[in-house]
Amino acid sequence: MEYEFLIDDRLHKISFDKKENVFIISDGERTFNADIQFISSNALSILIEGQSHLVYLAREGDKKYLSFQGQQFTVQEPSAEGKGFVEKEERSQQDELLVRAPMPGKVIKINVSEKEEVRKNQTLAIVEAMKMENEIKSTIEGYVKKILVSEGDLVDSENPIIELSTKD
Amino acid sequence: MFKKILIANRGEIAVRVIKACQEMDISTVAVYSEADRKSLHVQLADEAFCIGPPPAVESYLHMERIIQTAHQAGAEAIHPGYGFLAENAEFARLCEKENIVFIGPNSKALRLVGDKVRSRQTMEKAGVPIIPGMKAIPKEFSEFESEARKIGYPVMIKASAGGGGKGMRIVHSPKDLKYALEAGMREAKSAFGDESVYLEKYIEEPRHVEFQILADNHGQVVHLFERECSIQRRHQKIVEETPSQALNPELRTLMGETAKKVVQVSGYNNAGTVEFLLDKDKNFYFLEVNARLQVEHPVTELTTGVDLVRQQILIASGEKLPFQQEELSQRGHSIECRIYAEDPLNNFLPSSGKVLFLKEPKGPGVRHDCGIYSGSNVPIYYDPILAKLIVWAEDRTAACQRMVNALDDYVILGIKTTIDFLKEVIAHPQFTAGKTTTSFIEKNFPGWQGRTKTEESLRLALIASAFDNFSQAYSSVNKGAVRKEVYSPWQALGNWRIGGKR
Repeated sequence: MEYEFLIDDRLHKISFDKKENVFIISDGERTFNADIQFISSNALSILIEGQSHLVYLAREGDKKYLSFQGQQFTVQEPSAEGKGFVEKEERSQQDELLVRAPMPGKVIKINVSEKEEVRKNQTLAIVEAMKMENEIKSTIEGYVKKILVSEGDLVDSENPIIELSTKD
Repeated sequence: MFKKILIANRGEIAVRVIKACQEMDISTVAVYSEADRKSLHVQLADEAFCIGPPPAVESYLHMERIIQTAHQAGAEAIHPGYGFLAENAEFARLCEKENIVFIGPNSKALRLVGDKVRSRQTMEKAGVPIIPGMKAIPKEFSEFESEARKIGYPVMIKASAGGGGKGMRIVHSPKDLKYALEAGMREAKSAFGDESVYLEKYIEEPRHVEFQILADNHGQVVHLFERECSIQRRHQKIVEETPSQALNPELRTLMGETAKKVVQVSGYNNAGTVEFLLDKDKNFYFLEVNARLQVEHPVTELTTGVDLVRQQILIASGEKLPFQQEELSQRGHSIECRIYAEDPLNNFLPSSGKVLFLKEPKGPGVRHDCGIYSGSNVPIYYDPILAKLIVWAEDRTAACQRMVNALDDYVILGIKTTIDFLKEVIAHPQFTAGKTTTSFIEKNFPGWQGRTKTEESLRLALIASAFDNFSQAYSSVNKGAVRKEVYSPWQALGNWRIGGKR
């Protein structure tokens, strides 16, 4: 069986087969045998050529979170035909114009008003989470097109809070 | 002794206090906000009552409701933990008025030490060294401006009511003063309900050394030595240890006796901490009294053998201190790492959400004070501290090694934490050498991008992901039955029978 995963946003491939109780694994560079056992639903014991490894794993939605020797990985299956990449690129172009909070929190101040001209690095709004204020700054020079939230609103990091427009 | 105590807090510190009460055979009452129904402290307490909506001002800071809850539940005392109402003199006074014992200092002493400006005046009069700065809270911006000019930039803005870095700002030039003052006041207002701030001379590259004290209600005061808390980020402590590498026995005694004097002239009782800044030339300046149980209290507990929460409760119930200064000594070395829900790779932004999996580190000399569990939720409303990892060993080198290993053995999945960052801090040659100042993080970890992931770990992550998908596909074919069996310990044991011999 062939598997593809996005690990920390990079695509990796692996081939994986089971023969009796041994897994035959090929990662493109080499092929080796592994004995893999679930220890619990969140822990895997992996034996490769006598080397013992313990990997922790948790699942949420289409994501897996893994930890090995203190190093953490976020693993996702690529959506059909590498769609994930295209979406990312498209989003990054829009990203400059759609301002999002960097983390879920509460809008405590909006420092600009609609139609106002903004400089690069000008503070647009302040979002607070866990008692820490975070200033959200403009990455472009332009105008405030639309303010999508009010002071006091709870926001997440997905939905935009302010829409900007470029000068031209 | 009390029969029932209400714990007016949440998270790891509420859990810590509940455990001390349980050991002392005292019933516990938890209070919680609507965001905390499933929190650990609610599960562990004997009784639990909802005190309001998620924002702290409407729940954990709501004095009347907490006192009313204490009355209803029949609690004789309230332990405030740290943060929230712990250093709120008005709350302590309300408790006194309502005949509930506030497990902390008396309201008068709390008012004095809580007012950073007034306590500076008191200490200066008593001959305790202080940092040059304001002796009163100004009304006008122009007063801040002229004072800043007088003491000289850089200056530090500090919240009069505060601690824990909230409201604090360093200002390097006059043009930044106004904006920093506004931000500092807003932060102070939201954290402490009081927007008063003042200015102080900013001492560059100091060490932060504090002394733990215990004072009973009968006038006896002891100190339990120092904690060094120089490793800070955004003026928030992240690593603490004791003993400090910067003190010799003479300086330790001098600072310890000064700390006792601070407490005595303030008429202070119960547990408290006297904070000092220690400059490059080993001059020390009184900073403030932290009139509460400190986050970092475990390192003192592990090196002195004294349970500080138990002592707080005993003192509050009127008991005398069971030991004299001469009977106290430090043994070995202890280090604490604070585990925050923050993303070190993204400017340490808070990371709220669900803890999908937690594996607590274990082993000799390893202590884990924890407020989360596998499946718990980390809300956006409160401090990002999740837990504290504390180690003890016979000397500092062994303690550092033990800490690095314990951090390696520590897994939190689902939210971002500072675990990996802390490992780098403890393993840093400058830390190992004991060269810890408050600018350690800025100097040694500017724009930290995380450890480089090894090929091996990437390969294992890939194998584990593939195996997980493989088993899930396999189990779905078998209607889930196989997968369940895979996790069953009985399956893993092989052949067995009850009562069988080897």
